[in-house]
Amino acid sequence: MKQLPLTGFSLVFFVFLYAPLFVIIAYSFNSNPVNMLIWDGFTLDWYKGLFGIGERLDVTQRATYIESTPQLLAALKNSLIVAASTTGISTVLGTSTALALGRHRFRGKSVYSGGLMLPMMMPDIVLGIGLLIFFSTMGMRLSLATIIIGQCTFLISYVFIVVQARLVGLDPALEEASADLGAGEWTTFRKVTLPQLAPGVLGGALLAFIISMDDLVITYFISGTGSQTLPIFIFGMVRRGVKPEINAIATLIILASVLIAGFGLWFHARGARK
Amino acid sequence: MKPLLEIRAARRIFTTPEGRNIAALDGVDLSVGDGEFVTLLGPSGCGKTTLLRAIAGFEQIDDGTVRLDGADLTGLPPHRRPVNTVFQSYALFPHMTVARNVGYALEVQGVSRTVRMAEVAEALDKVGMADLGTRSPGQLSGGQRQRVALARAIVAKPRLLLLDEPLSALDRNLRQQMQFELKDLQHRLGIAFVFVTHDQEEALTMSDRIVVMRAGKVEQIGSPRDIYRKPKTRFVAEFIGETNLLPARVNRVGGDTADIVLAGQAVTVPAGNLRAEMAVTAVIRPTDFILGSHGIAGTVRRAVYLGADLHLKITPDDGPELTVVARDTSRAPGEGDRVHLSFDPAQVHLLEGAQ
Amino acid sequence: MTRHERGLLFVLLSPVTLFLAVFFLIPLATIAIFSLLTPGLYGGVEWSFYHWNYGRIFGWADGIIEIFEPVYLQILWRSLMLAALTVILCLLICYPVAFWVARLPQKWRMFFLFLIALPFFASLIVRLYAWLLILKPSGLLNSFLMTLGVIGEPLDILYTPTAVVLGMVYIFVPFMFLPLFSSIDTLDRGLIEASGDLGARPWQTFFKVILPLTTPGIVGGSVIVFIPAVGNFIVPDVLGGAKGLMTGNLIEQQFLSSRNWPFGSALAMVIMAVVLTVLILFGSRARKAGVMT
Repeated sequence: MKQLPLTGFSLVFFVFLYAPLFVIIAYSFNSNPVNMLIWDGFTLDWYKGLFGIGERLDVTQRATYIESTPQLLAALKNSLIVAASTTGISTVLGTSTALALGRHRFRGKSVYSGGLMLPMMMPDIVLGIGLLIFFSTMGMRLSLATIIIGQCTFLISYVFIVVQARLVGLDPALEEASADLGAGEWTTFRKVTLPQLAPGVLGGALLAFIISMDDLVITYFISGTGSQTLPIFIFGMVRRGVKPEINAIATLIILASVLIAGFGLWFHARGARK
Repeated sequence: MKPLLEIRAARRIFTTPEGRNIAALDGVDLSVGDGEFVTLLGPSGCGKTTLLRAIAGFEQIDDGTVRLDGADLTGLPPHRRPVNTVFQSYALFPHMTVARNVGYALEVQGVSRTVRMAEVAEALDKVGMADLGTRSPGQLSGGQRQRVALARAIVAKPRLLLLDEPLSALDRNLRQQMQFELKDLQHRLGIAFVFVTHDQEEALTMSDRIVVMRAGKVEQIGSPRDIYRKPKTRFVAEFIGETNLLPARVNRVGGDTADIVLAGQAVTVPAGNLRAEMAVTAVIRPTDFILGSHGIAGTVRRAVYLGADLHLKITPDDGPELTVVARDTSRAPGEGDRVHLSFDPAQVHLLEGAQ
Repeated sequence: MTRHERGLLFVLLSPVTLFLAVFFLIPLATIAIFSLLTPGLYGGVEWSFYHWNYGRIFGWADGIIEIFEPVYLQILWRSLMLAALTVILCLLICYPVAFWVARLPQKWRMFFLFLIALPFFASLIVRLYAWLLILKPSGLLNSFLMTLGVIGEPLDILYTPTAVVLGMVYIFVPFMFLPLFSSIDTLDRGLIEASGDLGARPWQTFFKVILPLTTPGIVGGSVIVFIPAVGNFIVPDVLGGAKGLMTGNLIEQQFLSSRNWPFGSALAMVIMAVVLTVLILFGSRARKAGVMT
């Protein structure tokens, strides 16, 4: 049947998509420190080294270990702080915007909602340097706060889209029924609209969290020296050359991302079915 | 004379996700002659659409043959079959004008633009849509779209046209008008039509022959008159129009005639295949009953006045409830009235066995 | 609209509007302003009008008209070309797969859509790093091919434009896939049947019916791949080296190494102009395709 070449192509596609990830995962367990491609044996050394435990291999490697672990943990902490903050802010702002636009009509509405898409459409680098110029001209010091502000500019748009999509799918008759049965506007919102909207809001929040954790370019330009996030840390390591520990970190990140994203997508699918 | 379309022993089996096998077509035989209007009629799930799609090539049959003009169509993809379809949803290409839609079959054959345009104009004219070539499907009403779908299917002058419930989306008045126009068009074109519908009135109105289907099998094939007057099974009798089924017994068979008793009445009918002591079922149409002073006695349970007719539900003293349609509404009985029903024995049709 | 409604609208929208005006619109404006300022000697700016930033981009450095060095134009051109190539490759790769997924039964569809979206959520830098491992001279690809005896010497893919395109295609495939899939999925199957019924061969059906009707998805996907691709900085930085330099790298250099902010701003303005042009030309069609899930 003519399905076969199409199916074959698709399978090759999926291999192409996932092979690089499996390469990293495989290498993170390879005990050969010099040439990663020659399989020496299974080891957890690189993982142990990441957390500062286990055998070190030689003096130069030791230096890397000693420095990188605290840095890694600090970067991770920064990333989590930033992600939590940006998720909170952007979810609130994105949801309120979706509600405002979804429930009201006003002149210039299409222009406004088009404008909301603009931060997402701009290449990150433009946003990044714009904020850099802005902050330095304003005399603001670069810190985690500037990162948070910078990320929110486009995260709001992402949350907005997700919540709006959910809002559009809601049955307006439910709110009308609530009003008909005597509930005031705020009560209707609290008891009818919000619970139904919840999967969309959570979906938007999760999306914002993941994108924030992974953001590299914008953060790169507006982070100060003391405020490295995880992607920046890894970027730095990659720039300085390929090392086995990177494989270990990378594998852990892949695992974490897959779990979170998997949970998020599964949850979103469940919510969409309701 | 060899039929245009010949289907023999067509079988199509589907496997449900649970693993059961369902026969959508269970040994169907059908012949359609040149220029004939044949309707596939039946309830949903009877296989009529599957059969139509099997002729068009969108379904493959697992067993049996489909021959067009003697040539075996089995295995040929739709685009190689000289058969065109009018789809239930019309399936007009939204990104093309009416003219391009109609000319599509010629366009894919590589027919030159001038010839195409002439053919398109002719086809549109035949369906009464002459000046609407430049419109796009989104700008047309339901009835107009239906005609464009028709024009598109006839422009390549196929020998056989398949129509999959093409009128089901139209409102009643438009529908009746289109029935008339379709029949008229079919006559003018001389193309054989295979028409699918679940509406028995539509089938009776338009067809040269009706194929009544149920559960993948053909129940009966015949002219509208035959199907209505001489149904071969209880299903056909009940599916086409309203009917009364009365159990009866054959008392005596002698010569050309037989005496039967039904609803307490002794009636003499043509002998046919009847034997004495046989149990039969009489099929009597609501319009066959005559309200009078003799015959089956009963009480009117319900009377619905419909202007031209009076629909009555009558509970007889002996036997199942009867449906009667009285044409003479001047002497209309009301609910609770006692009536007597007689009928012409020649109009009675008998089915074997107790149904 | 009632006064109450208007008040509510104001309350809901003003924080967002204010936030974006200050932290999005104003920064963009400052880029524009800076692009016309004079670069200071030690990396600052002098607040005087200087149009030679743009001059430099177009080939005339520092006000000397006689010397024409379109180095930066070449890099800009390369960015456009590599982005366009990325779009085309993403289209060619995603279209058949989107078709295949659209024909799957419902259960499997969800699963494969999930599978395609998932790598998007694994860290960008990690995914690019993987390609570093694969493409470098002692990397997986070369070792594999050399062991098989297909090549004698390592292929020189890393740090070339090829590697950049490869990396960008890998990153942007999920972006292209979703609008494309959405467009293909909403195609009325009856139209494909009708086309076949009327005698069109499969390739005719594809070009006359399927392709025209999936154009919104194609345009939508192309826009959301092209824009981040043209201004991309990460992929050429990790995989591109000197031969794969793109405008994004240039901008980064100006801001963090050379400290010539006005020139960097001018480059950024050019990128913005390209993006806005694409959005104006194709933006409404992209939105119709339902660009976001």
